[in-house]
Amino acid sequence: MLETRKLDKSFGAVHVTRGVSFKLERGERRVILGPNGAGKTTLFNLLVGELTPDSGSVHLAGEDVTTLPVARRARQGLSRSYQKNTLFDGLTVEENLGLAAAIHTGNATRLYTDSLARPEVREIVAEVAEQVNLMPYLHARVSEISYGVRRQLEVGVALATRPLVLLMDEPTSGVGPEMAKGFHDLLNNLPRDLTLLIIEHDMDLAFDVADTITVLNYGEVVFDGLPEAARGSKLLKDIYLGSWEDA
Amino acid sequence: MFRHTPLRYAALVLLASAALFQALTADYFGLEILTEIVILAMLVIALDMVAGFGGMVSLCHGALLGVGAYGYAILSTKVGLTPLMAMGGAVAVTGAIAWVIGAICARSHGIYFIMATLAFGQMGYSYVFEAPLFGGDDGLSGIARLDLSFIGLDLNDGRSFALFCLGVLAAIYGAAVLILRSGLGRSLSGVMHNEQRMRALGLTVWRVKADVFGLSGLISGLAGAMAAQHVMFVSPGLLSWTVSGEALVVVILGGLGTLVGPLLGAAVFVLLKHEVGALTSYWHLVVGMILIAVVMSRANGIFGWIEARFGARIERRAADAVRDIDPREVKTDA
Repeated sequence: MLETRKLDKSFGAVHVTRGVSFKLERGERRVILGPNGAGKTTLFNLLVGELTPDSGSVHLAGEDVTTLPVARRARQGLSRSYQKNTLFDGLTVEENLGLAAAIHTGNATRLYTDSLARPEVREIVAEVAEQVNLMPYLHARVSEISYGVRRQLEVGVALATRPLVLLMDEPTSGVGPEMAKGFHDLLNNLPRDLTLLIIEHDMDLAFDVADTITVLNYGEVVFDGLPEAARGSKLLKDIYLGSWEDA
Repeated sequence: MFRHTPLRYAALVLLASAALFQALTADYFGLEILTEIVILAMLVIALDMVAGFGGMVSLCHGALLGVGAYGYAILSTKVGLTPLMAMGGAVAVTGAIAWVIGAICARSHGIYFIMATLAFGQMGYSYVFEAPLFGGDDGLSGIARLDLSFIGLDLNDGRSFALFCLGVLAAIYGAAVLILRSGLGRSLSGVMHNEQRMRALGLTVWRVKADVFGLSGLISGLAGAMAAQHVMFVSPGLLSWTVSGEALVVVILGGLGTLVGPLLGAAVFVLLKHEVGALTSYWHLVVGMILIAVVMSRANGIFGWIEARFGARIERRAADAVRDIDPREVKTDA
């Protein structure tokens, strides 16, 4: 479904990603681990087109999308949520989801009708709100909901484009343990045919959700395999997991 | 996205009542001032659509007004079209030009967008000023008004023309509300809030900006065609950047992004111009001081201040209603 081939990106003399290659099958849930500065978010930016790779390619559903702009990739089924909330603060939760659903259904540029009044948009909004537990907050403005609910909405907005592949950059960033547990359930309840690529520092969530794990270190893939193998990897313990195992 | 609040409805009713009263009772000069206010209101609605709801602060809307005015003048006096067809042609041409300007400038932001639109406006001004077709700095005269005698309306009568302009303004306001509440309007609102996210969701952002800029151009062109009919004369000054600047002042004075505020701003600006202008030729200084006071007060223009002062109770009630949903989860972040 999503494949990268030898993705390289440098900022000046700093190599942020070095020959990153992996392949996600349809419905696969892969978690990307790595210490700060490993190049995880840069990799996401390369995948969605917010950065252009120096070399290498990105393939979505068999098509080379490396040169396609962000919006085209999104319309082809590549959606992402951000580490820092990028919501529409002055709008309600319903309107936030509606904007994404309207783009997906082709109602975003309609001149004569309110996109949020369209039945196909309302259907997606209701479905996604149910999926990410936002039903009680639909009519609240973003500025009026708690941080944890905003994180749910961040994922919900990305989901409302009905993506083939959903990239989530630290979905539990900044939320408490109870809310993080809620995210486990949320992610596990997403449709099984949705391909997920998740950057996550919460190890419990990573091993709970992941079918496969990729570990980046200094921009290189140093591990790519099953969660069970990751748990037993000495290399991983050395570069990343030591503090978690000791904790 | 644009929302009508009880306060906005009340302001609209008050403004419309005052305008109708003036249109039905005023003498010649009163009608001239009213018509000037109404035509300026058309232009500032167009500007508020892009600046207040799309973050595209334009300094070429004066030029778009001028394109509409010259378009009407040329199509009706030189090409020989009927006034109605000339008006339609002028509006369409202005909309098309605005769409192209919007498409080109859509990729720039902030001060760069302002400068790019200013450059387009000044190019238009310079061309019209120099080109013999447009009468150079002498302008064009002998412009006829629409012939609506078939419905018993003689637009050469000042009162009838003022009432007709009010009708056009009402239609423009309604169209602007519909646009801002449409799927396109919602997308524009999303772009203003977070352009990067809208792009990441799959929206072709430049196209949305260009489309709304084009629609705003249609309204500006209509305002220009009405301006040409009002004074039955057009000159290059209509395209000058000072017209764009004044329109921007009116929008900010009235309340950016409120649609109702700029209507109030147009009335305040024109009345100040005439009333203070009768006392001193330095009336711009007075307008400038008022604008500085409005900006320094951090209120969103005169109407924004009214909304903040009298709309607070309504906001509190809305917030209470939201908190009632789930007091454990819904809270305001620090």
